[in-house]
Amino acid sequence: MPKLTINGHAVEVPPGTNLIEAARRVGVEIPHYCYHPGLSIAGQCRLCMVDIEKTPRPTIACNTLAAEGMVVATETDRVKETRKSIMEFHLINHPLDCPVCDQAGECWLQIYYMEHGLYDPRMRDEKVHKPKAVPLGPHVMLDAERCILCSRCVRFCDEVTRTGELGIFDRGDHSEIGLFPGTELANKYSGNVVDICPVGALTDRDFRFAVRVWYLDSAKSVCPGCARGCNIEVHVNRRRPHHNEGRRVARLKPRFNADVNRWWICDAGRYGFAFVDDKTRLVAPARREDGAVGDATWEEAIGAVAGALRRFAPDEIGVFASPKMANEDLWALRRVLEAPGIRRVAFRVPPREPGDADTLLIRSDKNPNSHGAALLGLDGDGAAILAAARARQVKCLWVFGHDLLAGAWPEAETDAALRALPLLIFTGTNANATSERAHWVLPAAAWVEREGTYTNFEGRVQRFRQAVEPLGQALPEWDILGRVLRALGVEVGATRAERWFRELAAAVPAFAGLTYQAIGDTGAVLSAPTAGHPRSEPASRTPLQ
Amino acid sequence: MSGRDRTDGATRASSRPPTDHAGLEVPAPTVAFSAEQLGEVRRLQGLYPDRRAALLPVLHLAQETFGYISLEVERYVAGLFDLTPAHVHEVVTFYTMFFRAPKGRHVVAVCHNLSCHLAGAPAIVAHLQGRLGIHVGETTADGRVTLQSVECLCACEHAPMMQVDDRYEFGLTPEKVDRILEGLR
Repeated sequence: MPKLTINGHAVEVPPGTNLIEAARRVGVEIPHYCYHPGLSIAGQCRLCMVDIEKTPRPTIACNTLAAEGMVVATETDRVKETRKSIMEFHLINHPLDCPVCDQAGECWLQIYYMEHGLYDPRMRDEKVHKPKAVPLGPHVMLDAERCILCSRCVRFCDEVTRTGELGIFDRGDHSEIGLFPGTELANKYSGNVVDICPVGALTDRDFRFAVRVWYLDSAKSVCPGCARGCNIEVHVNRRRPHHNEGRRVARLKPRFNADVNRWWICDAGRYGFAFVDDKTRLVAPARREDGAVGDATWEEAIGAVAGALRRFAPDEIGVFASPKMANEDLWALRRVLEAPGIRRVAFRVPPREPGDADTLLIRSDKNPNSHGAALLGLDGDGAAILAAARARQVKCLWVFGHDLLAGAWPEAETDAALRALPLLIFTGTNANATSERAHWVLPAAAWVEREGTYTNFEGRVQRFRQAVEPLGQALPEWDILGRVLRALGVEVGATRAERWFRELAAAVPAFAGLTYQAIGDTGAVLSAPTAGHPRSEPASRTPLQ
Repeated sequence: MSGRDRTDGATRASSRPPTDHAGLEVPAPTVAFSAEQLGEVRRLQGLYPDRRAALLPVLHLAQETFGYISLEVERYVAGLFDLTPAHVHEVVTFYTMFFRAPKGRHVVAVCHNLSCHLAGAPAIVAHLQGRLGIHVGETTADGRVTLQSVECLCACEHAPMMQVDDRYEFGLTPEKVDRILEGLR
């Protein structure tokens, strides 16, 4: 392993480490635009110049591998002067429209100019003008004047999605990023080019002008859009509620996890959060009697559910858990089922259309926690429960989240089952055709409104944190279920998600030894699958490209 | 730029359906090389360690064959190299000697660089524009001549000069230009 010195710090790095990564290890940041650890080296922006002893000129750090005995200096006068000149060069034709640029506040032209700028512009000529606000596809907007031609987006489409839509056309100061004429940037990961664009050239059509980025707060989370569980940050707007039409969740951004999603997320996950601030959100407990809907208190709703669980025989009760519920919720549900001994429980509702999948990130199972639900022993036969409802053997059905009418089961049969039920209880975040039939509706907090963990298809347990308060009176499912347990006369020690998880880890062997602390920010893989609970999907790891 | 060659991808299916990179159906090409030309393409591709290097000579062959490099030609050539159309478009737009719209039967390119400029190139260009009734960058309505103004052609000692198709014309005067134009049919 080569040993070298960077700004006087000795460091030893694995062979093949470039100077930007080597410098990071000793806390030295080398400014750069085009270099990205997930992409090939382009050497395009020239900003990462450093001085290397016995080398006559400053050298780009991204394309220089650390070598034995190398002495690197990143802050010599010559390097500083070079950076200043390169910043000047990048800004020659830049429109300087920061006040109306969506990237302002997280723009690397701004950030580096503060430190390395010239502060005395020498340009007198008219700038070269290029197209502005050009939609490249459903999600990405191009401003060619702001582009510094780092080619990160081009390399992303070539190397990561391998779709190759983008190119740098024309030359010299007329060069611009673009699409082959007549095509659009519509691959399943297009939003990532906005993340890796270091300037305001590529912005997110969904987020543009919604909120200034400096008003956003962020929470570490996990994407609930499929069984992969990509690590994300949830960006919420709490400080300027009059912006973004009252929507609290402003955007989702990928969060690096070497073992799950690296730097990327798919567009379906990135833009799949609209339900959180949607008009269909359930915000108060409700009771439906003779077709009329009325608000109820939580006490009434919990009392009604507990009463039903007591009144009906255990075999007359069916439960549809949801693979979108957290491990903590599912464990609390299992405790509720165990109290009266309910056995008719399932969590899978087959989708009408099979989910799309690829070899990069996207899994066909569009649920974040099928694996967890299976490990917790909730994997019963849903069709059989509905058949029993049609046969009037099941008289009380409690549905979590699902719209049973939207699945692959024949709609008429499901409809007949729901009609035959004397009591239908629904718990979920948003109204759907099933909740419209429910006699009791218990509003649940969305994943960004609470804490919890999901178990992904590989058996990796990952935490998601609370970013905003629950909407209206909504509560996390574990809280609703804990209240039901107490109403059933069961003593409940857990009053927080973490306590429920601790209880779960003590009871279910697969989760043995896991704690929120052990899971941390990047997740922890379950020791071994519990015998008797089939894995939701093959556990073989699909390598990332 | 590394990674542009689509043949190196282990995950890429070798027999892909006829869709472009955006997944759109590609219409059956109406431009196509002859069997003999395709042999030439393969020969050119075999000359270089990385066959993408043959893109420029193949594009010149395409321009000779099809008259100019249309988007359709770009797609066709991309298919011959298993490159994305965007990559071929990068190359075609980078170089100035590829015509992206139909050009005249003859191309007249006047040097406008320093030596020729000092020796009177602007007057030559003005004279050509007047005689042909077009501006620089345009083609006469009868499709006879395309007029260009270009960077140095490495014949400063003969300034002002221009290139007519594949010939250099030196020491231009309005009279000499008229005689040259008469020779272009």
